[in-house]
Amino acid sequence: MKTEDLITSLAADAAPVSGTSLERHAALAVAAGFAVTLALFAAFYGPRPELSAAMSKPVTLAKTLLPLLLGGLAWSIVLRTARPAAPVGAAARLVWIVPAAMAGLLLWALLTTAAGQRLQLFIGHSINVCLPSIMLLSLPILGGLLAVLRQGAPVHPARCGALAGLASAGLATAVYSLFCTEDSPLFYGVWYNLGILLVAGLGALLGRRFLRW
Amino acid sequence: MTDRNDRWGDLLRRANRGEASAYAQFLTEAAPVIRTVVRGRSGREEGTEDVVQEVLLAIHAKRHTWRDTDPVTPWVYAIARYKTADAFRRDRRSAQQVPIEDLAERLPDEGQVDPTVARDLARLLGQIDERSARIVRAVALDGESAGDVGGRLGMSEGAVRVAYHRALTRLRQLAAADQEKEHVTK
Repeated sequence: MKTEDLITSLAADAAPVSGTSLERHAALAVAAGFAVTLALFAAFYGPRPELSAAMSKPVTLAKTLLPLLLGGLAWSIVLRTARPAAPVGAAARLVWIVPAAMAGLLLWALLTTAAGQRLQLFIGHSINVCLPSIMLLSLPILGGLLAVLRQGAPVHPARCGALAGLASAGLATAVYSLFCTEDSPLFYGVWYNLGILLVAGLGALLGRRFLRW
Repeated sequence: MTDRNDRWGDLLRRANRGEASAYAQFLTEAAPVIRTVVRGRSGREEGTEDVVQEVLLAIHAKRHTWRDTDPVTPWVYAIARYKTADAFRRDRRSAQQVPIEDLAERLPDEGQVDPTVARDLARLLGQIDERSARIVRAVALDGESAGDVGGRLGMSEGAVRVAYHRALTRLRQLAAADQEKEHVTK
Protein backbone atom coordinates (compact mmCIF):
# COMPACT_ATOMS: atom_id res chain seq x y z
CA MET A 1 0.00 0.00 0.00
CA LYS A 2 1.29 3.43 -0.85
CA THR A 3 1.63 5.96 1.93
CA GLU A 4 -0.75 8.41 0.23
CA ASP A 5 -3.39 5.68 0.05
CA LEU A 6 -2.90 4.89 3.70
CA ILE A 7 -3.36 8.55 4.58
CA THR A 8 -6.57 8.64 2.55
CA SER A 9 -7.84 5.56 4.38
CA LEU A 10 -6.93 6.95 7.78
CA ALA A 11 -8.57 10.28 7.04
CA ALA A 12 -11.72 8.45 5.93
CA ASP A 13 -11.72 6.87 9.39
CA ALA A 14 -11.69 10.25 11.17
CA ALA A 15 -14.10 10.36 14.08
CA PRO A 16 -14.38 12.49 17.18
CA VAL A 17 -12.03 11.22 19.89
CA SER A 18 -11.98 12.19 23.55
CA GLY A 19 -8.75 13.62 24.91
CA THR A 20 -9.61 12.74 28.49
CA SER A 21 -10.76 9.13 28.12
CA LEU A 22 -7.49 7.85 29.59
CA GLU A 23 -8.02 9.73 32.86
CA ARG A 24 -11.66 8.69 33.10
CA HIS A 25 -10.92 5.04 32.44
CA ALA A 26 -8.01 5.08 34.86
CA ALA A 27 -10.22 6.56 37.57
CA LEU A 28 -12.77 3.79 37.02
CA ALA A 29 -10.11 1.07 36.96
CA VAL A 30 -8.39 2.32 40.11
CA ALA A 31 -11.73 2.64 41.87
CA ALA A 32 -12.69 -0.91 40.88
CA GLY A 33 -9.27 -2.28 41.88
CA PHE A 34 -9.39 -0.37 45.15
CA ALA A 35 -12.80 -1.85 45.92
CA VAL A 36 -11.36 -5.35 45.47
CA THR A 37 -8.42 -4.42 47.68
CA LEU A 38 -10.80 -3.18 50.37
CA ALA A 39 -12.81 -6.39 50.08
CA LEU A 40 -9.64 -8.46 50.52
CA PHE A 41 -8.72 -6.28 53.48
CA ALA A 42 -12.12 -6.75 55.07
CA ALA A 43 -12.03 -10.50 54.46
CA PHE A 44 -8.49 -11.30 55.62
CA TYR A 45 -7.22 -8.40 57.70
CA GLY A 46 -9.57 -5.87 59.26
CA PRO A 47 -8.56 -2.77 61.16
CA ARG A 48 -6.27 -3.03 64.18
CA PRO A 49 -7.74 -2.63 67.69
CA GLU A 50 -8.16 0.98 68.76
CA LEU A 51 -7.39 2.31 65.31
CA SER A 52 -8.44 5.89 65.98
CA ALA A 53 -6.36 6.14 69.14
CA ALA A 54 -3.30 4.89 67.26
CA MET A 55 -3.93 7.30 64.39
CA SER A 56 -3.88 10.27 66.74
CA LYS A 57 -0.07 9.90 66.92
CA PRO A 58 1.52 11.71 63.96
CA VAL A 59 4.27 9.09 63.50
CA THR A 60 1.63 6.38 63.20
CA LEU A 61 -0.56 8.51 60.96
CA ALA A 62 2.44 9.02 58.66
CA LYS A 63 2.60 5.33 57.82
CA THR A 64 -0.86 5.65 56.28
CA LEU A 65 -0.64 9.14 54.83
CA LEU A 66 2.77 8.91 53.15
CA PRO A 67 1.92 5.80 51.08
CA LEU A 68 -1.43 7.39 50.25
CA LEU A 69 0.34 10.53 49.02
CA LEU A 70 2.77 8.39 47.02
CA GLY A 71 -0.12 6.50 45.47
CA GLY A 72 -1.97 9.64 44.47
CA LEU A 73 1.05 11.40 42.99
CA ALA A 74 2.32 8.30 41.15
CA TRP A 75 -1.15 7.85 39.70
CA SER A 76 -1.04 11.37 38.29
CA ILE A 77 2.50 10.86 36.93
CA VAL A 78 1.78 7.50 35.33
CA LEU A 79 -1.05 8.94 33.24
CA ARG A 80 1.33 11.53 31.85
CA THR A 81 3.91 8.90 30.96
CA ALA A 82 1.20 7.15 28.94
CA ARG A 83 1.12 10.16 26.60
CA PRO A 84 4.11 10.57 24.26
CA ALA A 85 6.19 13.65 25.11
CA ALA A 86 3.63 14.99 27.60
CA PRO A 87 5.14 17.49 30.07
CA VAL A 88 5.91 15.71 33.37
CA GLY A 89 4.00 18.14 35.55
CA ALA A 90 4.33 19.19 39.17
CA ALA A 91 3.55 15.75 40.61
CA ALA A 92 6.86 14.41 39.29
CA ARG A 93 8.68 16.93 41.51
CA LEU A 94 6.31 16.76 44.47
CA VAL A 95 6.59 12.98 44.70
CA TRP A 96 10.12 13.30 46.10
CA ILE A 97 8.50 14.59 49.30
CA VAL A 98 7.55 11.00 50.11
CA PRO A 99 11.03 9.40 50.17
CA ALA A 100 12.42 12.54 51.82
CA ALA A 101 9.82 12.39 54.60
CA MET A 102 10.35 8.64 55.00
CA ALA A 103 14.11 9.13 55.30
CA GLY A 104 13.54 11.95 57.80
CA LEU A 105 11.27 9.78 59.95
CA LEU A 106 13.71 6.90 59.79
CA LEU A 107 16.56 9.13 60.90
CA TRP A 108 14.46 10.66 63.66
CA ALA A 109 13.49 7.20 64.94
CA LEU A 110 17.08 6.05 64.84
CA LEU A 111 18.14 9.01 66.96
CA THR A 112 15.29 8.87 69.47
CA THR A 113 15.07 5.11 69.99
CA ALA A 114 17.18 3.61 72.78
CA ALA A 115 20.09 1.64 71.32
CA GLY A 116 18.88 -1.62 72.85
CA GLN A 117 15.45 -1.34 71.23
CA ARG A 118 16.44 -0.43 67.69
CA LEU A 119 17.05 -3.90 66.34
CA GLN A 120 13.89 -5.24 67.94
CA LEU A 121 11.70 -2.51 66.44
CA PHE A 122 13.41 -2.80 63.08
CA ILE A 123 12.79 -6.56 62.84
CA GLY A 124 9.34 -6.30 64.43
CA HIS A 125 7.15 -9.38 64.31
CA SER A 126 5.40 -9.24 60.95
CA ILE A 127 7.83 -8.87 58.05
CA ASN A 128 6.56 -12.16 56.66
CA VAL A 129 3.00 -10.77 56.70
CA CYS A 130 3.84 -7.26 55.62
CA LEU A 131 5.69 -7.94 52.36
CA PRO A 132 3.29 -10.48 50.81
CA SER A 133 0.28 -8.46 51.98
CA ILE A 134 1.42 -5.27 50.29
CA MET A 135 2.00 -7.30 47.15
CA LEU A 136 -1.40 -9.03 47.35
CA LEU A 137 -3.39 -5.87 48.09
CA SER A 138 -1.63 -4.04 45.24
CA LEU A 139 -2.47 -6.56 42.56
CA PRO A 140 -6.13 -5.64 41.90
CA ILE A 141 -5.24 -1.97 41.47
CA LEU A 142 -2.12 -2.72 39.43
CA GLY A 143 -4.08 -5.01 37.12
CA GLY A 144 -6.76 -2.41 36.50
CA LEU A 145 -4.26 0.36 35.94
CA LEU A 146 -2.15 -1.65 33.50
CA ALA A 147 -5.24 -2.64 31.55
CA VAL A 148 -6.13 1.03 31.09
CA LEU A 149 -2.54 2.05 30.29
CA ARG A 150 -2.65 -0.30 27.31
CA GLN A 151 -4.96 2.28 25.73
CA GLY A 152 -2.19 4.83 26.16
CA ALA A 153 1.07 5.07 24.29
CA PRO A 154 3.94 4.94 26.81
CA VAL A 155 7.25 5.44 25.03
CA HIS A 156 9.01 3.88 28.04
CA PRO A 157 6.82 0.87 28.83
CA ALA A 158 8.93 -0.42 31.73
CA ARG A 159 9.05 2.97 33.41
CA CYS A 160 5.32 3.40 32.94
CA GLY A 161 4.71 -0.04 34.47
CA ALA A 162 6.97 0.77 37.43
CA LEU A 163 5.00 3.95 38.10
CA ALA A 164 1.77 1.99 37.91
CA GLY A 165 3.34 -0.31 40.50
CA LEU A 166 4.18 2.65 42.75
CA ALA A 167 0.66 4.04 42.42
CA SER A 168 -1.05 0.75 43.26
CA ALA A 169 1.40 -0.15 46.02
CA GLY A 170 1.02 3.29 47.59
CA LEU A 171 -2.76 2.92 47.82
CA ALA A 172 -2.54 -0.72 48.93
CA THR A 173 0.04 0.03 51.62
CA ALA A 174 -2.14 2.79 53.04
CA VAL A 175 -4.90 0.19 53.41
CA TYR A 176 -2.57 -2.41 54.90
CA SER A 177 -1.25 0.10 57.43
CA LEU A 178 -4.70 0.19 59.07
CA PHE A 179 -4.16 -3.45 60.05
CA CYS A 180 -0.47 -3.32 60.95
CA THR A 181 0.50 -2.55 64.56
CA GLU A 182 4.19 -1.85 63.94
CA ASP A 183 4.33 1.88 64.50
CA SER A 184 8.05 2.61 64.48
CA PRO A 185 9.52 4.20 61.35
CA LEU A 186 12.39 1.75 61.93
CA PHE A 187 9.90 -0.91 60.80
CA TYR A 188 7.58 0.70 58.29
CA GLY A 189 10.23 3.07 56.91
CA VAL A 190 12.12 0.00 55.72
CA TRP A 191 9.69 -2.84 55.14
CA TYR A 192 6.74 -0.90 53.69
CA ASN A 193 9.12 0.74 51.27
CA LEU A 194 10.69 -2.56 50.34
CA GLY A 195 7.21 -3.95 49.65
CA ILE A 196 6.35 -0.91 47.53
CA LEU A 197 9.58 -1.22 45.57
CA LEU A 198 8.93 -4.90 44.92
CA VAL A 199 5.55 -4.02 43.42
CA ALA A 200 7.20 -1.29 41.34
CA GLY A 201 9.66 -3.89 40.05
CA LEU A 202 6.82 -6.23 39.20
CA GLY A 203 5.09 -3.33 37.44
CA ALA A 204 8.23 -2.65 35.40
CA LEU A 205 8.40 -6.29 34.28
CA LEU A 206 4.71 -6.36 33.39
CA GLY A 207 5.00 -2.99 31.68
CA ARG A 208 7.83 -4.17 29.46
CA ARG A 209 5.77 -7.17 28.52
CA PHE A 210 2.26 -5.71 28.19
CA LEU A 211 2.55 -1.97 27.60
CA ARG A 212 4.28 -2.13 24.23
CA TRP A 213 2.21 -0.86 21.37
CA MET B 1 9.06 25.27 14.36
CA THR B 2 6.44 26.91 16.57
CA ASP B 3 4.66 27.80 13.34
CA ARG B 4 4.46 24.17 12.49
CA ASN B 5 3.39 23.29 16.02
CA ASP B 6 0.55 25.80 15.95
CA ARG B 7 -0.54 24.71 12.50
CA TRP B 8 -0.45 20.99 13.28
CA GLY B 9 -2.08 21.59 16.62
CA ASP B 10 -4.95 23.35 14.94
CA LEU B 11 -5.31 20.61 12.31
CA LEU B 12 -5.20 17.74 14.80
CA ARG B 13 -7.64 19.49 17.12
CA ARG B 14 -10.11 19.73 14.26
CA ALA B 15 -9.31 16.16 13.18
CA ASN B 16 -10.02 14.88 16.69
CA ARG B 17 -13.41 16.53 16.45
CA GLY B 18 -14.06 14.38 13.39
CA GLU B 19 -13.06 16.71 10.56
CA ALA B 20 -11.65 14.37 7.87
CA SER B 21 -10.15 17.07 5.65
CA ALA B 22 -8.15 18.58 8.50
CA TYR B 23 -6.99 15.09 9.43
CA ALA B 24 -5.87 14.32 5.86
CA GLN B 25 -4.01 17.63 5.78
CA PHE B 26 -2.32 16.91 9.11
CA LEU B 27 -1.19 13.43 8.04
CA THR B 28 -0.03 14.67 4.64
CA GLU B 29 2.10 17.37 6.24
CA ALA B 30 3.39 15.08 8.99
CA ALA B 31 4.40 12.20 6.69
CA PRO B 32 7.53 13.81 5.15
CA VAL B 33 8.67 14.99 8.59
CA ILE B 34 8.13 11.50 9.99
CA ARG B 35 10.05 10.08 7.02
CA THR B 36 13.01 12.32 7.90
CA VAL B 37 12.92 11.22 11.54
CA VAL B 38 12.69 7.52 10.61
CA ARG B 39 15.45 7.77 8.02
CA GLY B 40 17.66 9.76 10.37
CA ARG B 41 17.31 7.26 13.17
CA SER B 42 17.57 4.08 11.13
CA GLY B 43 20.35 5.51 8.93
CA ARG B 44 19.17 3.80 5.78
CA GLU B 45 16.63 4.01 3.03
CA GLU B 46 15.46 0.41 2.85
CA GLY B 47 12.31 -0.33 4.83
CA THR B 48 11.78 3.35 5.70
CA GLU B 49 8.38 3.58 4.07
CA ASP B 50 7.06 0.57 6.02
CA VAL B 51 8.06 2.23 9.26
CA VAL B 52 6.58 5.57 8.17
CA GLN B 53 3.29 3.77 7.59
CA GLU B 54 3.51 2.09 10.98
CA VAL B 55 4.05 5.50 12.56
CA LEU B 56 1.00 6.89 10.74
CA LEU B 57 -1.07 3.93 11.91
CA ALA B 58 0.21 4.44 15.46
CA ILE B 59 -0.68 8.12 15.32
CA HIS B 60 -4.13 7.13 14.18
CA ALA B 61 -4.62 4.47 16.85
CA LYS B 62 -3.21 6.69 19.63
CA ARG B 63 -4.50 10.10 18.63
CA HIS B 64 -6.51 10.28 21.84
CA THR B 65 -3.21 10.38 23.78
CA TRP B 66 -2.56 13.92 22.55
CA ARG B 67 -4.09 16.51 24.86
CA ASP B 68 -4.97 19.50 22.76
CA THR B 69 -3.28 21.82 25.26
CA ASP B 70 0.10 20.08 24.78
CA PRO B 71 2.55 20.83 21.95
CA VAL B 72 1.88 18.47 19.07
CA THR B 73 5.25 18.26 17.30
CA PRO B 74 7.08 16.58 20.22
CA TRP B 75 4.17 14.14 20.39
CA VAL B 76 4.60 13.21 16.71
CA TYR B 77 8.39 12.92 17.04
CA ALA B 78 8.12 10.75 20.15
CA ILE B 79 5.81 8.31 18.36
CA ALA B 80 8.08 8.27 15.30
CA ARG B 81 11.15 7.55 17.46
CA TYR B 82 9.37 4.83 19.43
CA LYS B 83 8.11 3.06 16.33
CA THR B 84 11.49 3.33 14.58
CA ALA B 85 13.25 1.80 17.59
CA ASP B 86 10.58 -0.90 17.69
CA ALA B 87 11.10 -1.75 14.01
CA PHE B 88 14.85 -1.81 14.57
CA ARG B 89 14.49 -4.31 17.38
CA ARG B 90 12.29 -6.50 15.26
CA ASP B 91 14.72 -6.34 12.35
CA ARG B 92 17.62 -7.30 14.53
CA ARG B 93 15.69 -10.31 15.81
CA SER B 94 14.93 -11.52 12.33
CA ALA B 95 17.55 -10.53 9.80
CA GLN B 96 15.11 -11.15 6.99
CA GLN B 97 11.74 -9.54 6.47
CA VAL B 98 9.07 -11.63 4.81
CA PRO B 99 7.11 -9.57 2.30
CA ILE B 100 3.75 -11.04 3.30
CA GLU B 101 2.05 -8.06 1.77
CA ASP B 102 3.42 -8.85 -1.71
CA LEU B 103 2.61 -12.46 -1.11
CA ALA B 104 -0.95 -11.69 -0.15
CA GLU B 105 -1.38 -9.61 -3.27
CA ARG B 106 -0.26 -12.51 -5.48
CA LEU B 107 -2.40 -15.07 -3.71
CA PRO B 108 -5.75 -14.71 -5.52
CA ASP B 109 -4.19 -16.76 -8.31
CA GLU B 110 -4.62 -19.90 -6.24
CA GLY B 111 -3.55 -22.36 -8.93
CA GLN B 112 -0.03 -21.03 -9.19
CA VAL B 113 0.66 -20.65 -5.52
CA ASP B 114 3.13 -22.86 -3.78
CA PRO B 115 0.92 -25.00 -1.48
CA THR B 116 3.26 -24.53 1.49
CA VAL B 117 2.85 -20.76 1.21
CA ALA B 118 -0.93 -21.08 1.26
CA ARG B 119 -0.71 -23.39 4.25
CA ASP B 120 1.64 -21.00 6.06
CA LEU B 121 -0.69 -18.09 5.40
CA ALA B 122 -3.68 -20.06 6.67
CA ARG B 123 -1.74 -20.88 9.83
CA LEU B 124 -0.67 -17.26 10.30
CA LEU B 125 -4.25 -16.10 9.80
CA GLY B 126 -5.23 -18.45 12.60
CA GLN B 127 -2.98 -16.48 14.92
CA ILE B 128 -4.66 -13.12 14.49
CA ASP B 129 -8.12 -12.19 15.67
CA GLU B 130 -11.11 -13.57 13.82
CA ARG B 131 -12.36 -10.32 12.35
CA SER B 132 -8.95 -9.24 11.01
CA ALA B 133 -8.45 -12.68 9.48
CA ARG B 134 -11.80 -12.40 7.73
CA ILE B 135 -10.88 -9.00 6.35
CA VAL B 136 -7.52 -10.24 5.04
CA ARG B 137 -9.15 -13.28 3.45
CA ALA B 138 -11.87 -11.20 1.82
CA VAL B 139 -9.64 -8.37 0.55
CA ALA B 140 -6.38 -10.17 -0.25
CA LEU B 141 -7.55 -13.66 -1.19
CA ASP B 142 -11.03 -13.17 -2.58
CA GLY B 143 -10.29 -9.76 -4.05
CA GLU B 144 -13.34 -8.07 -2.54
CA SER B 145 -13.36 -4.30 -2.23
CA ALA B 146 -12.99 -2.68 1.18
CA GLY B 147 -16.44 -1.15 0.76
CA ASP B 148 -18.11 -4.53 0.21
CA VAL B 149 -16.34 -6.11 3.15
CA GLY B 150 -17.24 -3.14 5.31
CA GLY B 151 -20.88 -3.43 4.34
CA ARG B 152 -20.89 -7.05 5.39
CA LEU B 153 -19.09 -6.44 8.70
CA GLY B 154 -20.87 -3.21 9.54
CA MET B 155 -17.67 -1.13 9.29
CA SER B 156 -16.83 1.96 7.29
CA GLU B 157 -14.63 1.49 4.23
CA GLY B 158 -11.85 3.46 5.94
CA ALA B 159 -12.03 1.29 9.05
CA VAL B 160 -11.70 -1.83 6.89
CA ARG B 161 -8.63 -0.43 5.12
CA VAL B 162 -7.03 0.46 8.42
CA ALA B 163 -7.82 -2.96 9.92
CA TYR B 164 -6.52 -4.62 6.75
CA HIS B 165 -3.27 -2.72 6.86
CA ARG B 166 -2.81 -3.37 10.55
CA ALA B 167 -3.47 -7.08 10.06
CA LEU B 168 -0.85 -7.25 7.30
CA THR B 169 1.69 -5.58 9.57
CA ARG B 170 0.86 -8.08 12.27
CA LEU B 171 1.16 -11.00 9.83
CA ARG B 172 4.53 -9.72 8.69
CA GLN B 173 5.70 -9.67 12.31
CA LEU B 174 4.36 -13.18 12.95
CA ALA B 175 6.03 -14.47 9.81
CA ALA B 176 9.32 -12.85 10.82
CA ALA B 177 9.06 -14.41 14.30
CA ASP B 178 8.39 -17.78 12.65
CA GLN B 179 11.43 -17.48 10.45
CA GLU B 180 13.51 -16.67 13.46
CA LYS B 181 12.22 -19.76 15.24
CA GLU B 182 13.02 -21.95 12.23
CA HIS B 183 16.41 -20.40 12.11
CA VAL B 184 17.04 -21.35 15.73
CA THR B 185 15.83 -24.93 15.34
CA LYS B 186 17.94 -25.51 12.22
